[in-house]
Amino acid sequence: MRILMISAAAMMLISAFCLYAINYDTRQFAERVQAQERKLDKAREDIAILKADRAFAGRPEVIGPAARALGLVPAGEAQFVRGSDPDSVAQLPEAGSAEAGATQQ
Amino acid sequence: MTRRVYITPGRPQQGAGAHSETQPVRMRAVAAIAGVAVAFSLLAGQLVRLAILGQGEVSASMSQPIAIAFARPDIVDRNGQLLASDLVMPSLFADPALVVDKDELAEKLGRVLPGLNQAELRKSLADRDKRFVWIRRGMSTRQAEQIHSLGLPGIEFRSELRRAYPSGTLAGHALGFVDVDNKGIAGLERYLDEMGRIEPVSAPSLTKRPPVQLSIDVGVQHAVEEELTAAMATYKARAAVGLVMDVTTGEIIAATSLPSIDPVSPSLTSATINRLTDGTYELGSVFKMFTVAMALDSGAMTLETPVDVRQALRIGRFTITDTHPVNRILSLAEVFRRSSNVGAGKVAMELGAERQKAFFERVGLTGPLKTEAGGVAAVQLPERWGDVDTVTRSYGHGIAVSPLQFAVAAASLVNGGKRVTPTFLRRAVAPEAPDERVISEETSRQFNALMRGNVTERDGTGRRADVPGLEVGGKTGTAELPGKGGYRKKSVISSFFAAFPMSAPKYVTLVSLFEPQPVAESGNEITAGRNAAPVTGKILSRIAPQLDIMPRTAMQ
Repeated sequence: MRILMISAAAMMLISAFCLYAINYDTRQFAERVQAQERKLDKAREDIAILKADRAFAGRPEVIGPAARALGLVPAGEAQFVRGSDPDSVAQLPEAGSAEAGATQQ
Repeated sequence: MTRRVYITPGRPQQGAGAHSETQPVRMRAVAAIAGVAVAFSLLAGQLVRLAILGQGEVSASMSQPIAIAFARPDIVDRNGQLLASDLVMPSLFADPALVVDKDELAEKLGRVLPGLNQAELRKSLADRDKRFVWIRRGMSTRQAEQIHSLGLPGIEFRSELRRAYPSGTLAGHALGFVDVDNKGIAGLERYLDEMGRIEPVSAPSLTKRPPVQLSIDVGVQHAVEEELTAAMATYKARAAVGLVMDVTTGEIIAATSLPSIDPVSPSLTSATINRLTDGTYELGSVFKMFTVAMALDSGAMTLETPVDVRQALRIGRFTITDTHPVNRILSLAEVFRRSSNVGAGKVAMELGAERQKAFFERVGLTGPLKTEAGGVAAVQLPERWGDVDTVTRSYGHGIAVSPLQFAVAAASLVNGGKRVTPTFLRRAVAPEAPDERVISEETSRQFNALMRGNVTERDGTGRRADVPGLEVGGKTGTAELPGKGGYRKKSVISSFFAAFPMSAPKYVTLVSLFEPQPVAESGNEITAGRNAAPVTGKILSRIAPQLDIMPRTAMQ
């Protein structure tokens, strides 16, 4: 009986110690998780700002003039070749020319 | 230590020995076991009662932190281009009691924060009993760093959620705006609130919800806004509206009302109202589309049916005339192309008021209309529907509708005759509706040929909207605006409704210019054929490739 009592008491102490250790580890783990979440939140905030910056820099009113300066124009009839007449290659305006810019308008 | 001796009554004392000593221990153990068993039985019974019989009421209380703001999902266009996003930004506030020199503070902050009202700030800081005064809500990190490096006492930063619109005023009316707590007030921003897509938050944190994808295409929207802005300058128009819509799915690809609003600081005046949805107007001859479609769909007329337009049309004390009268009998197709008021009036009279009323209802001109961006202004339609009203409504007077409602109704004439439900959200397929047919497929096919003819034929009013290879079709409308004692002759709304490619229409557009002036570019005229039609042509030539509609003639 005594042995049983001593064993039980010992088990209780061991259990209490284990419980404390687990609790301590859990708290530490929770803190690490919180720190990671804070980092994630910060990264998400930074990404949101970068995405907004990219959208701002890529507005059509910014891209448009740059594309026109390169001589890019919307697809038009002259840019297509008839299958029945492959030699009918249209003369496109040269890149950067005034005509290329005017076609866009 | 006293040893207790227990005597059991009625039992002999001799020979009790060890047995009499263990008896009380056993009894106590039995009592304890019985107590625990009873307690567990009660618990088990209660569990059984709750689980099986479902008795008892379960109540739970939850504590929720007080929300200080609302986290909103991103809004992107149909291609994923960002239109609106939440950003965590520093906001600056001051504690007047701790500010040492308010003049110095206002002056130094004014150098970093453009637009800061220094006089008002000094006034706010003068009251030292206040312990909190906002200086600027939402600023860039760079500005915050600059202010921090100034080392001014009495000011502090607090992080807040602020709504950013990287594309500026683009699609401003459709997007709407939010209040200082990031709550939607108008437009699609308000729709997000109504649909529960926002999250109340107690700290400035971004939502993890997926972005809301609109049907709008940023590139198309920009092209429409840019061309309309140029048109307003060229024709000296007071305002303009533009719309591009998919006729199959009802997706609105571009929608604008100029002058636009800036969602960050919306200036709501009579000049900046959303004329596309919030105003109703008599749109004039574009309504002849409904008159002719009604005539064809009724089976009572064909495109060749003769209509006598040689004489002015007299109804009671009113006389209806044509801008460019012809002294011969026209076919129904010619009435459409020449935009004859007399012809349209006679057709409507022939078909009758009841049929016209029923047709207007069927195409959705008279009922309520709502989109995700908000309700559309209700049609203004007087109860009386006499002969005069039948005639005037046949060419777009005596009925005032919002341009959006008009365009949605007209789209159902060119898409094979099916009702269109407009939406600002990306939609892969058209929503299914059981009784969605408005006109027959054959009528729609004939009508499309008529629309195309109005752009290609010599006598068509929409010739200037043609773009080689795009098979543009359309109808003009020049409506005089009402004024004191009648209509103002020189104040008009010039509209052009277009569809393309007419062999199988995929998109419709509407361009309306408000009060354009006679200028050299329009041959000193204010008719839609001279201003709204060429503007439409310019828009179509830019947006068609973006919408994957390539010129057809060259590929055939």
